[in-house]
Amino acid sequence: MFGAFRPTNALSGGLLWKIPWRLSKFQKARQRKRLRAVDNVVAVVDRALAKQGITTKAVERWKEEMPIEQEMLPKDKYTIFDRKEKKYRKGIHKLPKWTRVSQRINPPGY
Amino acid sequence: MSYFRITLMRSGIGLPKRTQGVLKALGLRHRMKTVFYPVTPEVAGQIMKVKELISVREVEKPLTKEELREERKPDPGYYIETAMPRRQA
Repeated sequence: MFGAFRPTNALSGGLLWKIPWRLSKFQKARQRKRLRAVDNVVAVVDRALAKQGITTKAVERWKEEMPIEQEMLPKDKYTIFDRKEKKYRKGIHKLPKWTRVSQRINPPGY
Repeated sequence: MSYFRITLMRSGIGLPKRTQGVLKALGLRHRMKTVFYPVTPEVAGQIMKVKELISVREVEKPLTKEELREERKPDPGYYIETAMPRRQA
C-alpha cells in the first residue's frame, strides 16, 4: 500500500494521461471569453469596412455561417462532434490547439 | 482615411504554415507587437485569417514607434507643480 513500489495506476499500467473528460467552469469561462474576442474582431472589421461602403467575402461568409457567442448552444461551445465517441460528442479541449482555432458548428442533428 | 490597429495577442507557434505566413506578412513577429494598416478589403481578409490570435481596433491615424512606447510607459507616480529656475550657489 505504501512505500516506493506501491502499485499506482501509472506504475502498473504504463502510460496514464489524466485529461479530464469535461471542462472546468473556469476553462468554460475562458472559452466564452475567447469566443467573444473573435466576435469582437469580426465586428470591428465589419464596421470599419461598412463605413467605407466595402464588403469582403471572408467577413460576409463568417457572419452568414457562424453564430456569435450569445447565439451558440452550450453543447456547441464546450463539446465537438466525433463519430467514434459514445453519443457522438467529446470535450472541445480534445481538439488540437483548441484555444487558438475556431470550432463553432457541428453536423446538424448531432 | 482610417486604419486598423492590430496587436498580436496569441502566438502562431504550432499553427499551420499558412497562418504563420499571414502573421509574417502582417509584420507580427512577436506577441504584443502592434502594426497599423489602412482599412482595405485585402487587410480585412488577412485579419480574418488570424482573427483568433489578434485584437483589432479602428483608429484615425497610425502611431509611430515612439508614440507606442510612450503609451506603454507606466505612470511615474509624481508630477511637478511649477517648474522652478535652478538656484545659483
